Amino acid sequence: MYKLLLALLVVFMSIGHAAAQEKLTISGYVKDAKNGEALLGATVFVPTLGEGVTTNDYGFYSLTLPRGTYDISFSYVSYLEEKRQVKLENANVKLDLELKESALVLETVTISSERVDANVRSIEMSVNKVDMRTIQKMPALLGEVDVIRSIQFLPGVTTVGEGATGFNVRGGNVDQNLVLLDEAPVFNSSHLFGFFSVFNPDAVKDVKLIKGGIPAEYGGRVSSILDVRMKEGNSKKFAASGGIGTIFSRLALETPIIKDKGSFIVAARRSYIDVLAKPFLSGDLKDSRFYFYDLTAKANYQIDDKNTVFLSGYFGRDVFGADFGFDWGNTTASARWNHIFNDKLFLNTTAFFSNYDYRLQSDLREPNPQDAFRWNSNIKNYSVKPDFTYYLNSRNKISFGGQMIYYTFQPGKAEAISGGETRVIGQDSKYAIEYAAYFGNEQKLGKNFTLQYGIRYSMYDYIGPGNAYTYGPQTGERREPISTQTYERGERITRYGNWEPRFSANIGIGDASSIKVSYNRMAQYLHLLSNTAAASPLDVWTPTSNNIKPQLSDQVALGLFKNFKDNLFETSVEVYYKSLQNQVDYIPNSDLLLNPQLEGDLLFGDGRAYGAEFFIKKTKGKLNGWLSYTLSRTERQIKGLNNNDWFPSRFDKTHVLNFVGIYDLNERVSFSLNFTYGTGTPATFPTSKFIWQGYALPHNFYAQRNGYRIPDYHRVDLAAIVKQKKKLFGKGEGEWVFSIYNLYNRRNAFSVYVRQNEDNPSQTEAVRYSVFGSIIPAVTYNFKF
Amino acid sequence: MKNIQWFYFFLILLVSTACTDVIDLETEAGETQLVIDAWVTDESKIQTIKLSLTQPYFDRGGIVPAKGATVILFSEDSIPYPFIDLKNDGNYVWQPSVVGEKILEVGKQYALYVKYGAEEYFSISRVNRVPPIDSINYFKQKYPVAPTDLRQEGYQVDFYARDPLGQGDCYWVRAYRNDTLFDKPSQILTVYDASFSPGGSADGLMFILPIRAGASPDLYNANDKVKVELYSIPPEAFYFLQLVRTESTNGGIFATVPSNIPTNIQPLDQNNKKQVLGFFAVSAVSSIETVVDGSKAIPKPSGR
Repeated sequence: MYKLLLALLVVFMSIGHAAAQEKLTISGYVKDAKNGEALLGATVFVPTLGEGVTTNDYGFYSLTLPRGTYDISFSYVSYLEEKRQVKLENANVKLDLELKESALVLETVTISSERVDANVRSIEMSVNKVDMRTIQKMPALLGEVDVIRSIQFLPGVTTVGEGATGFNVRGGNVDQNLVLLDEAPVFNSSHLFGFFSVFNPDAVKDVKLIKGGIPAEYGGRVSSILDVRMKEGNSKKFAASGGIGTIFSRLALETPIIKDKGSFIVAARRSYIDVLAKPFLSGDLKDSRFYFYDLTAKANYQIDDKNTVFLSGYFGRDVFGADFGFDWGNTTASARWNHIFNDKLFLNTTAFFSNYDYRLQSDLREPNPQDAFRWNSNIKNYSVKPDFTYYLNSRNKISFGGQMIYYTFQPGKAEAISGGETRVIGQDSKYAIEYAAYFGNEQKLGKNFTLQYGIRYSMYDYIGPGNAYTYGPQTGERREPISTQTYERGERITRYGNWEPRFSANIGIGDASSIKVSYNRMAQYLHLLSNTAAASPLDVWTPTSNNIKPQLSDQVALGLFKNFKDNLFETSVEVYYKSLQNQVDYIPNSDLLLNPQLEGDLLFGDGRAYGAEFFIKKTKGKLNGWLSYTLSRTERQIKGLNNNDWFPSRFDKTHVLNFVGIYDLNERVSFSLNFTYGTGTPATFPTSKFIWQGYALPHNFYAQRNGYRIPDYHRVDLAAIVKQKKKLFGKGEGEWVFSIYNLYNRRNAFSVYVRQNEDNPSQTEAVRYSVFGSIIPAVTYNFKF
Repeated sequence: MKNIQWFYFFLILLVSTACTDVIDLETEAGETQLVIDAWVTDESKIQTIKLSLTQPYFDRGGIVPAKGATVILFSEDSIPYPFIDLKNDGNYVWQPSVVGEKILEVGKQYALYVKYGAEEYFSISRVNRVPPIDSINYFKQKYPVAPTDLRQEGYQVDFYARDPLGQGDCYWVRAYRNDTLFDKPSQILTVYDASFSPGGSADGLMFILPIRAGASPDLYNANDKVKVELYSIPPEAFYFLQLVRTESTNGGIFATVPSNIPTNIQPLDQNNKKQVLGFFAVSAVSSIETVVDGSKAIPKPSGR
């Protein structure tokens, strides 16, 4: 089978190149003139040939053309276009270029390049990039600029409710998003349960959400990829930025190590309410700790023309406690090496470490207590990942590479000390290795037809030491193990392998429109076990095992992309259908923490999601922003739940309408407004009550799940940004951000639940729970110099 | 786990706007079902089995008794103990005919038989062992913030008992202040071996600290009467009680999906589709009582 594929591939790639003529290559980096940051996805275009390429994630490009002299244009959104005449006569040309940011979006720079319609021309579909400058202008909860909250305004992205961790993409669970920070996965993207995301906006350069048509180089999660890239740090001069908000105080410093050769950035944030509260706390409260912080750092150094190294790290933690302690956090570290073998072959090798852990301790003061409870849990992974890009010619861009990830899981282990005796309870550590290899090609077949195709093979070994349990068939109730087998260190318990084909096509129609189709299959070997409405910091990542099968998804999407008024308006309509296998669900009252036989509490089934997404974006002008509408359905079918019928997922929302508007009044003042509307999420309510031992208990006679909906959600937020007239310290800039969240003071329901009345236990009532029950104003001060 | 209140306190500090409102809700009504509330202990006193009917969830009327049923408890030696609805109010009772007479013996199985109308139902439960409660102590407690609906200051009471060796012992801790049971669903405290959940390794320990504090769902005043009961329960009752607690206090951001609370009472005729709700269990009980005397309070332990 694969030989046939290979043969086909060779034939395919040689189309249009039968008559090979001598060609030469132009290659180099495209960077920001102001701070030396690499520009990702900048367009390098030859108008006379109608051919071009975009820079990769490190700003590198390579374009192979027939001998000749060309006018080449370099362009990037909201940067001034540069044109260069390049003589490709005798030898390959190396051209590094710096682009200047257009002073302000409101200047409505007319970029004449034909390639500003990148959204229409590119092979990518179901991809949303949000410019950090836009994210910083959008109104934010408590004035804290937030990457994850901002992407929730994009089509196809929802959340179970405000304050919930993570996000749901096209009917996928929160654990089905691969959240990457400089290529290292982040296992919990939230501070304070889910109110703020872990990404420090001062350190983020680029945010890209891939919902479909996922290229072969990505794998490991079934629904989406959120690729967050950190700034490299100013390689021209020292720069500082920061601010004081309602929650965080922030500071970021960046400086060249050697001018234009290397730089580093360090950005830190910390909540400070505990510092303010300290003088007012007395007695037992004096020792209380409640704060969260994160530290993001990155350095890069260009060794020579062919080699560049990057080191980046993230360290964040939430700490709560007084005598007792509860803290959790992520750590990631990645080292990357860019190597240019020749003008056509680019290699990035990433090695990363990522960790998520939490600890609970009942007594922090007494080191040797008679009675205590100490509990910890973590997931660690180590990975190496070489990714090659081979710019075969101007029509074929080949990517290939692989990845190996070694996982260790400590799902939960607790020391219970009672009367001086210690017992260890919980689960044993678990181990797994994931391997992947991929090959893909982006091929242009004529001016109006581009293909991207690829295949990824992923393999997974669940290894010892450990016990593997066998359970009987799924009934919807708790299953006890039938047998147990013990495995030695390194011994394979079970293995899975999956072919993951990927395919996208772009067919251009006319000047400014195109039709795109894509298909992708994804496999996922990690599962976040969470039986609560919103994911909690205590939730545990669990490996695929002999009982838990890898999750699989197949998605097809079809889109129509069209730009109007010289690319002033970008519009798209996409429809998708996604089918999910081996989805994890839970028995009622499942015990997922510290339970060695938790697999007996899991249920498995299928999911499906389909919908249509409408998107219109105004890219330039004093007034810019977007409007998106999503009509969708997401359901699952789990044997043992809802009478074995399909039922809507917890985060199913039929209609979602989002609006983001930014109005730049002048160079100093801008206003912004968000509006969001969503159908209420599904809920399960009882039909009857019964009294047992004085408790009034709910019962649903039809055993139906998610048959009702909570009230619809809608909200308006406003913000105004005012830059100070006076220069800060003679050269810097200061700005005030005023924001109002939930402008019309709506008590949006997070959930509706039932309970017995506090005073009269035989009476029962329904309760609406709102995370934010009022209007929330905030002021933030930001500076940079 | 009183400490969890701290946790909520910080959360509330940071997002002080979270709120709940009682709202009107309309839901479809289901068919009426028989409810059997049968929890029998090894004490020599009146034992009651309550039979009632389900009501629409938001019905404001009182409990609807199920009258005219036949209720019999059988020991594994086939001795019948009939329960009679003396007041015709759905409370079927058995009373000891001589002082000290009781139905249950530790280690034995018992079967419940109920006939209501034409339908017959049964269930089986075993009386498990229960350790004695060794002692009670208390110390003066004052929380920096007043917990919702609870006292800020008073005596916190701990009880001490040791789980016998051998995995799978389950208990229900019931505390009374001045003879009033702490009866909120959130105050249901279940114990597995000496800890909260299965896993086995807490077997044979003194009940761990958060469980000892189960004598004190709220603080006591000086001269208050403390009574703690420890019920041995079958493992299925452990899971049932956990669900009762979860399903009656299931709100907020970390709520679980509401689910029905399964029963262990089956129709005698397997083809009978008319299911009942409720639960049958038998328990051995140990208990301890004292009156809080401020002069006997111990110093406040570290970390409490």
